[in-house]
Amino acid sequence: MEPARKRVADRQAFAEYDYSNFYYGAGDDPLNLLKPFANWYKDARPNGYYLYQEALGSAPSTHVRVRNGKTKQWQDLLNLASYNYLGISYRPEVKRAAAEALEKYGLGASGSPILSGTFEIHEQFEDELARFKDKESCILFPTGYSANVGFISALMRPGDTIFLDQYSHASIVDGAILAKSKTVFFRHNNPMDLERKMARAQGKKLVVVEGVYSMDGDICALPEVLEVSKRHGARMLIDEAHSTFLFGPKGRGVAEHFGLDKEVDFHLGTFSKSLGGQGGFVCGTQELADYVVAFSRSRFFSCNLSPVLTAGLRAALQIASEEPELRARLWSNCAFLRRRFEEEGVDIGNSNSQVMPVMVNNDAKVFAVAEKIQNRGLFLNPVTYPAVPKHRSRLRISVSAAHSEEDLDQAVGIIAGVLREEGICP
Amino acid sequence: MSLTRYGYANAINGFFEFPTENARRVLPSGMEPVEVHHGSSVLAVTVFHFDESEVGEYGEVVYAVLVPPFVEDGRLPKGAFYPYQVATTTKAARQHAMERWHLPHWMDDVETELEPSADGKSLTARAKAEGTLALEMTITDHSWDEVSHLYQSFQQDDDGKYMCNILFEGEKSEHEEETGRIKLHDHPFNKGIMISEVFEQPFREMWMRKGHQLFDPLRTL
Repeated sequence: MEPARKRVADRQAFAEYDYSNFYYGAGDDPLNLLKPFANWYKDARPNGYYLYQEALGSAPSTHVRVRNGKTKQWQDLLNLASYNYLGISYRPEVKRAAAEALEKYGLGASGSPILSGTFEIHEQFEDELARFKDKESCILFPTGYSANVGFISALMRPGDTIFLDQYSHASIVDGAILAKSKTVFFRHNNPMDLERKMARAQGKKLVVVEGVYSMDGDICALPEVLEVSKRHGARMLIDEAHSTFLFGPKGRGVAEHFGLDKEVDFHLGTFSKSLGGQGGFVCGTQELADYVVAFSRSRFFSCNLSPVLTAGLRAALQIASEEPELRARLWSNCAFLRRRFEEEGVDIGNSNSQVMPVMVNNDAKVFAVAEKIQNRGLFLNPVTYPAVPKHRSRLRISVSAAHSEEDLDQAVGIIAGVLREEGICP
Repeated sequence: MSLTRYGYANAINGFFEFPTENARRVLPSGMEPVEVHHGSSVLAVTVFHFDESEVGEYGEVVYAVLVPPFVEDGRLPKGAFYPYQVATTTKAARQHAMERWHLPHWMDDVETELEPSADGKSLTARAKAEGTLALEMTITDHSWDEVSHLYQSFQQDDDGKYMCNILFEGEKSEHEEETGRIKLHDHPFNKGIMISEVFEQPFREMWMRKGHQLFDPLRTL
């Protein structure tokens, strides 16, 4: 057995705790966790948590201005943190469309989509998106979060059962909570575990998967999970937040990539990743759309997407549809980066997408590593427990079609150099 | 007020997801379980080999549910648990724990063993009650740190409600690699647990060695 390698005094006190320690607290005062949290955060922030929510002072392109959360100084950094997978958000066509809509409509929709907030431009975008996804109908939501919450709770009820991958996004879990259905988690991407869990379930069943899992960058084992789901009479929802406009011959997503586009019942996605905007959508039959419009509270009781944003999204969708070379460029960049990481001995876990976790696997060091990397010119995000399992800390990278190979080579050099200095990679 | 010390050679612990409705069935009224996911609470199974205590050397099996810690000034606990069944290998240990800590006990001696794997990387606990196997649990190691961690234990019986701060000090390995395993047998010892609903792999595994538990005096709530 390995000897214990640290003494208590060697570790900083803040490192003994994390967010999970401040979620539950018995007692009578709802505010009783504020003080302990504040005391902890006072130490945790300068020791690494400042790396969260750092302000940007430029467009989320391949290079960004970031205000350092510790020094408050602006830094010009190579950007591997933004979701702008196709580099569309700052394209001139997108900005021009948004500017024209601003002039025509003003800032916002000023109403719920069900009442006064639906504009012609929303209907046009829904039609265009339905055509792109090759579905009868499409419904817009104000955010990706509200799309999952609204759709799942519109469809499922108490007494029903929802099966979720254990790495499901919070919006999926919250949708299940709001539906008040029984929620059963199965092991990540594990159809055998799903099989075991489904064997005991009665009544209405929904299985929810994601095209690309956002912390590990691995794609869904869709054929196997779908086969189990269908055999047990369940419906399936696929959340393609990180995969729509990227995967498949037409860019429709991971379901299309596997040739299972018609087999999956419900298709959900977001506009904040590949299109570089904001919002969410659900595609399916017209009957489904009519029902969800009637019962999706997160949509019903929110203001509609701004027409300005919607105009920009229409232009972004046109680019994504008409420029397949962007996807080709993205996958070429991913292959290049994956090869370079392999050459340098950097572990990127099981990623097979544009989301790549650089595995640090050391909760005590992940912030120091991220800080060094940022100070050497690279912007990326550390991820640690409880967002990922203990000892599985990582730096999350988002690759873009807009990156050049020189950008990516520079990033690998910085990352591998720091990981070596910290004894994390050979 | 004096602390009570229990030195252990080894102690292994697994956190297993099980349905919140099951957790609520074993908790007293008014006490809520901590949820790891919506609808999933935590069954914490711990097997100790105590080698130094007021009642000598003994083995102990603890079934507990994770609950919210009591927040007050001072050091924040790492977590809290409600032990709903404790079993010991000796009568003296059982009587001592019932009288001093109001812990609910399996009223017969059990047999426990902790068997290391050949490479020393895992420890398998077996517990027999009434002469037949009730529990097998394997926990694997990861990296070892010297720790001092505060936990809370809540107890409740016909006489009242209690809480105790417990400091765990010693060497500890903790991870979430899902490499351990539990087998709960169909046995009266496991009553109250819907065995088929307990995840067989722990989402968190802890192995503590060469350490001790320091109990503060029991507090009445």
